[in-house]
Amino acid sequence: MDLTAPAIELTDLDKFYGTFHALKGISLTVAKGEKVVVCGPSGSGKSTMIRCINQLEEHDGGTIRVFGTTLDDNVGLIDEIRREVGMVFQQFNLFPHMTVLENCTLAPMLVRKTSRADAEATAMRYLEKVRIPDQAQKYPGQLSGGQQQRVAIARALCMQPEILLFDEPTSALDPEMIAEVLDVMVTLAQEGMTMICVTHEMGFARKVADRVVFMDKGEIIEEAPPEDFFGNPKSDRTRLFLSQVLGH
Amino acid sequence: MTAPAGSARLRRLRKAYFGSPLSALMTLLSAAILGFILWKLLDWGLIHATFDASGTQETCAAKGGACWSVIATRWRVILFGIYPYEEQWRPALACLVVAGVIVLSCLPRMWSFGKLALTWTIGTIVFYTLMRGGILGLASVNEQQWGGLPLTLFVFVATGIIGMPLAIGLALLRRSDYPVIARVSGWIIDTIRSLPLLSILFTCAIVLPFMLPGFLIGEKLYRVVFGAALFFAAYQAEIIRGGFQGIPKGQEEAAKALGLSYWQRMGRIVLPQAFRLALPATINQFVIAFMETSLIVVVGFMELLAAGNTAFKTGEWKFAYAEVYVFIAAIYFAFVFGLSRYGAYLEARMNVGHRKD
Repeated sequence: MDLTAPAIELTDLDKFYGTFHALKGISLTVAKGEKVVVCGPSGSGKSTMIRCINQLEEHDGGTIRVFGTTLDDNVGLIDEIRREVGMVFQQFNLFPHMTVLENCTLAPMLVRKTSRADAEATAMRYLEKVRIPDQAQKYPGQLSGGQQQRVAIARALCMQPEILLFDEPTSALDPEMIAEVLDVMVTLAQEGMTMICVTHEMGFARKVADRVVFMDKGEIIEEAPPEDFFGNPKSDRTRLFLSQVLGH
Repeated sequence: MTAPAGSARLRRLRKAYFGSPLSALMTLLSAAILGFILWKLLDWGLIHATFDASGTQETCAAKGGACWSVIATRWRVILFGIYPYEEQWRPALACLVVAGVIVLSCLPRMWSFGKLALTWTIGTIVFYTLMRGGILGLASVNEQQWGGLPLTLFVFVATGIIGMPLAIGLALLRRSDYPVIARVSGWIIDTIRSLPLLSILFTCAIVLPFMLPGFLIGEKLYRVVFGAALFFAAYQAEIIRGGFQGIPKGQEEAAKALGLSYWQRMGRIVLPQAFRLALPATINQFVIAFMETSLIVVVGFMELLAAGNTAFKTGEWKFAYAEVYVFIAAIYFAFVFGLSRYGAYLEARMNVGHRKD
């Protein structure tokens, strides 16, 4: 892995579900430290695209390079990439049979072979960062949705990844909890984390994104810095989408 | 305002049992029937029963109740079968060892692979040495002479120890990404499940020796245990599969995204949650396996129930079968009731942090 290479390079990425063409030759490059927000109507392939990056979905054509390493069928290589690419899910996916602290220390101890003491110290540091250190001994089922999603972010951070992928992190939250999760994400962005966020939070996109990517029907329609994207969208489809998202 | 707790409970009870005339009538009727049955049982089992070993058919009949004298004189046959009489302290000790190992492994503080493996290895060696003998100055006792409670416990525990890993293996293979492996595993499970346990036991005891090379045949008891374990595994594999299906897909995805390997995902994320979901059915399967140990009598083993049958087969005790069956039932009850209470304890313990809303 070469940390001077672009963080992520997707070239002509193709993905099929049966006969459905979910990704139609996607190409996208993300530099280290860059924040990219991906938006688009549902079914446009945004989630599929970022799930290909850590191989939760296998791509059918094209290449994926993470820090210069090309992903192929080598399982060991995929595990290596996953260590460096954290992911936050729409449904949180915390492990319900483990405490918050255990959720955060599991992967560092098993995958990175960190000692328990070190892993717990790191976990507490990140739990403080997401502002819930006092919940460390609770189980996920005892927390609110917003708290669970912040734990999920802390869990991903505990692996100290180079890249964080967010797959609609606020879509399953009650409105009053969205802000607490977005605040944490803004902090991370300001600290220079490389981030790809699939989200409909256009306020967040305006605030932190270096680039906004608009996808529709498995293609990237438009790619622009937020001021151009929101101020001067080039494609009709983008304009239609923005009017629907921002219209009310 | 807070009402005193006692009167609230009384009010709730009155509402539940005497809420309407019909409900009151049913309550009184049920209580009367229950009371009558209980009184009859006490009368037979305690009040008019004979307890000392000197009782005979005539003296017991004169008192009119149960004749526990049969247990007092024949309990060693019931518990140990035809195991040599002077050596019966050995199966007694072996039973205690098994019970001890089971209780130890039920304690949450023992739940690590190393501790459990050590406990069970030592337990197995001690049990086998005691039962089989032939070393340390213990007289050798052939497996054919084992009988009663230790045999029942041995078959049950060995079925579980061999059957559970087999079940986990079969269940994991059945959800393999490779269609061939998944299908073959499914066929194995379905084939075993479509055979009666009796036919599997017969095959292992009688048919298998004709098919296997000499060095693979082994002692009949171990072939039978293997057959029982296979049967247990097929059912338990399906129970575990049911558990798998209750786990959201995102759990494994999250574990993958964190870089956990296949075995780490299975061992830490998937199997613990599958077992939590499958716990009631798993306890049920263990209870069934315990009851089914009594089937090995058909291939010539004198387990607890068969040993009990011999206890009243001699002329002077022919009349006392009810007492013997009650005694055996009490032993089965103690084990199975303990098992189901332990299951309830595990469920309560695992529900920590799982709000049901």
